[in-house]
Amino acid sequence: MIFIAIILGCILGAILGINAPMISYTYSSYLAIAVVAALDTVFGGIASVVNKKFDIKIFISGFFGNAILAILLTMLGEKLNVDIYLAAIVVFVGRMFVNLGIIRRYYVEKWTSKFSKKKEKSK
Amino acid sequence: MNKLKVSIVLGIMCFVLTYGIFLQIKTVENSNMEVSQNYEENNLRAEVLKFKEKYDNKAKDLEKLEKDLEEERKEATQDNTELENEEIQIKKANKIIGLSEVTGPGVIVTLQDSEMNPSNALNISDLLVHDLDVLNVINELKNAGAEAISINGQRLVSTTAISCEGNVININKVKVGAPFEIKAIGLPESLSALERPGGYLPFLEKYSIKTSLEKSNQLTIPKYSGKLEFSYGKSK
Repeated sequence: MIFIAIILGCILGAILGINAPMISYTYSSYLAIAVVAALDTVFGGIASVVNKKFDIKIFISGFFGNAILAILLTMLGEKLNVDIYLAAIVVFVGRMFVNLGIIRRYYVEKWTSKFSKKKEKSK
Repeated sequence: MNKLKVSIVLGIMCFVLTYGIFLQIKTVENSNMEVSQNYEENNLRAEVLKFKEKYDNKAKDLEKLEKDLEEERKEATQDNTELENEEIQIKKANKIIGLSEVTGPGVIVTLQDSEMNPSNALNISDLLVHDLDVLNVINELKNAGAEAISINGQRLVSTTAISCEGNVININKVKVGAPFEIKAIGLPESLSALERPGGYLPFLEKYSIKTSLEKSNQLTIPKYSGKLEFSYGKSK
């Protein structure tokens, strides 16, 4: 059920995104930072599933809240002539790597434990 | 029930995410932007793109306003014969001085730089289309009775100057590069005399410059987009 919903959402988003009218270049930097923020939340969500601490409310609020906050900060940075979006990218991408590391460790451990169990059985 | 809710929420989020990603990809692709690793270069490119967008928006606004103005004028002069005559005169004058779009039969001449290997040429400069070549072609077209001429979308008006600007040429103070597509409205048969033996196009072809002349029954020549203003000449 969940997988079907995810795949359906992805396909619909891709089709609509390809056919949507092009946004003005001025706003594309905001969209980029929002996409990065949302991606960060997705990886964070997967990592929390792995850690068994997943909470849908936190996930949703993080998804939209982070994206909006990132856009607002980018706007503020533009007004102040400081490239705040750089800091946002560093934080988001850094967190993405941390979360990816957690996910990777979890699956590697799972696999190795599986293999060792098999070996014990064959012995 | 809870699972249904969760899956709906996740579906919506995936939708938003992929939508954003694809929209962004499309925008970046359409703006012909090559993302380079050079920070400074990217910034400059973004600035240029932003300004270009602003310019395009303003041009679109201007076009719309001009259309509005025309409609207003049409409405205002509808039931008044005297004003209608004036309106017709304005239209005629605009056509002649190049402030309105013109359609009609004519020819399309294209001039393209030679594709010969430069090391085989005696004089590399002969392989390029120069401002003087364009000028000569236009002169011959006018001589053959061309009524309206445009070069790569730049309408020729009474104040048009054609000058050399390095590897491009300046027409109406706008930089225009090869290949040059010269559209001329007039009698196609007489305009195509440009191709006659001893004419200017065969002369250019001797220097291996690629030329072509195409007759057309339905040509559209855009209007002059700049401003025509006289500050010295006074009329009585």
